Amino acid sequence: MSAYTEGIICVLCINAIAVMGVSLVTGYTGIFSLGHAGYMAIGAYTAAILTARYSFYFIPAIVAGGLLAALIAYIIGVPTLKLVGDYYAIASIGLGEAIRLILENGGTFTRGARGFPGIPNYTNLTVAVCSFVIMAFLMFNLINGRFGRAFKACRDDYIAASLLGYNTAKYRILSLVISGFYCGVAGALLGGFLLYIKPLMFDMMKSTELTSVVVFGGLGSMSGTLLGMVIITLITEVFRPISQYRMLIYGAILVIIMVLRPEGIMGQYEFGPGMFKAIKEKFKGDHYSEEGRKV
Amino acid sequence: MPVFNIERGESLGILIQQIINGLSLGSVYALIAVGYSLVYSILMFSNFAHGGFLVIGGYICYFVLKDMGAGILIAGFLSLLGAGAAAILTERLAYKPIREKTNNTLYLLIASMGMSIVIENIFVVTIGGRFRALPDIIPTTPIHLSGMATISAFDLISLLAAVVFLSILQLILVKTKWGLAIRAAAYNLRIASLMGVNVNLLISLTFFIAGTLASVGGIFLAVRYTLYPQLGGITIKAFVAAVIGGLGSLPGAVVGSIILGLAEMLTAGFISSQLRDLVVFFFLVITLLVRPQGLFGKDVGEKV
Repeated sequence: MSAYTEGIICVLCINAIAVMGVSLVTGYTGIFSLGHAGYMAIGAYTAAILTARYSFYFIPAIVAGGLLAALIAYIIGVPTLKLVGDYYAIASIGLGEAIRLILENGGTFTRGARGFPGIPNYTNLTVAVCSFVIMAFLMFNLINGRFGRAFKACRDDYIAASLLGYNTAKYRILSLVISGFYCGVAGALLGGFLLYIKPLMFDMMKSTELTSVVVFGGLGSMSGTLLGMVIITLITEVFRPISQYRMLIYGAILVIIMVLRPEGIMGQYEFGPGMFKAIKEKFKGDHYSEEGRKV
Repeated sequence: MPVFNIERGESLGILIQQIINGLSLGSVYALIAVGYSLVYSILMFSNFAHGGFLVIGGYICYFVLKDMGAGILIAGFLSLLGAGAAAILTERLAYKPIREKTNNTLYLLIASMGMSIVIENIFVVTIGGRFRALPDIIPTTPIHLSGMATISAFDLISLLAAVVFLSILQLILVKTKWGLAIRAAAYNLRIASLMGVNVNLLISLTFFIAGTLASVGGIFLAVRYTLYPQLGGITIKAFVAAVIGGLGSLPGAVVGSIILGLAEMLTAGFISSQLRDLVVFFFLVITLLVRPQGLFGKDVGEKV
């Protein structure tokens, strides 16, 4: 396998971990976020400082990056997620930008805006793929279990969910914390892959990208998110030679998807036998509709 | 580094100077923030393509001044018209099909981010991303205030222009029939449409107003910081100002902008110019923690 292919697979795995986190919070729990790149930055810098400066082994450094991101998510989530509305979305813009600015002004500790070089190369193909498999296994177990149903209940009807005895604020915060952990781990892996990180890599554009991939893949569909991520990552790779048009095309795709198919490529379906069954049912329903025409 | 070793009279001068700078910057933010709030009050989403309108206005002004040799009044007028038209076009192309299909404002939000990326990169692709300085259209001669402070004429002019344009907006909203329709739609868009308001025309008008105000802000920002495709990114501060004042409230947007402009300039003058951006987001987080609906916001967030 060529080094280029290996690199693409590593990038895909890292992006997959990050978008799974965002999909959990935006797609499954219905909390819109514009600052998840901030959690990635926390994970990346924590792991980079621990490995490069204090020569930690990379696994505890990655986990520490994830945990610190989760802690920050908890601190910002408690006051804002108790309120219904877009308050977390707005706070997340501020949070993402504030984290970036703090890193830029961190002096010798974060090495400022010029970036943090000299990170040991701990993310190879095996590490990236193994992390992805472990994180995906945990995520699919989570969303298919009791917690996943609770998250969806908070998204679809929080009044009904609270009447059923769910502490909806608690579940919303839990969802955000888990998603912060995923993004922190993704950021830590990214640092070990690129060997160099700088605050500008985690700006609002990156956060937008994470959220728009989730929307593109389908809100409430984990496999749709992963599919959307693969498509977007590969499209941007294909357009790399004409990089000045790349962002233009990316923006246009975003608008066109929203105009033509706002529910994303997968809607709320997951891959598997259930999807085909549901699609079949839908067409059957169309066929026998009362007016006798396709709806 | 902080400058504390200056004499007392001088530091008072700096204070006055920074307050006037802050008011001037805040007034430019206000022109942009009002557009955010106006659109939010009617369609209930934050139009992140707003920064794009500002850049379009700035570039039209630049090219009319440079290539056609016109005066600032003609250039300004054309750039206001152009940015307003671009705002209407954006709404018709990207937002109208979505709002006719669904009530979920999330889709509008994402489409607006897409549009902001598109507008920014159209400029990058066609005329390049280099920094351009506008010709000297607005005098920047220093004015001495009785020997204590020195302020730039530019700051006074931008303050004055913001006051004039915001007063015109207020007159339109209060005195005209369409202003009444906009206020009705801000209260409830559906009821306004039942009362016979042409909703599509009203939304186009709102976007036109937002675009023209953004363009005024854009020209002043371009003079202050030079012109480049990513200049629209600065509107995030105006957005923060709109949130601090209460999204959807026009007086709130103005007050929030002034607070933010003053905070930014006083931080730059007395603490450190590197911290001025951080102060903006510090204010945002504090507002959301203490009073999430903003200073003038009406909707109290419901507790889960």
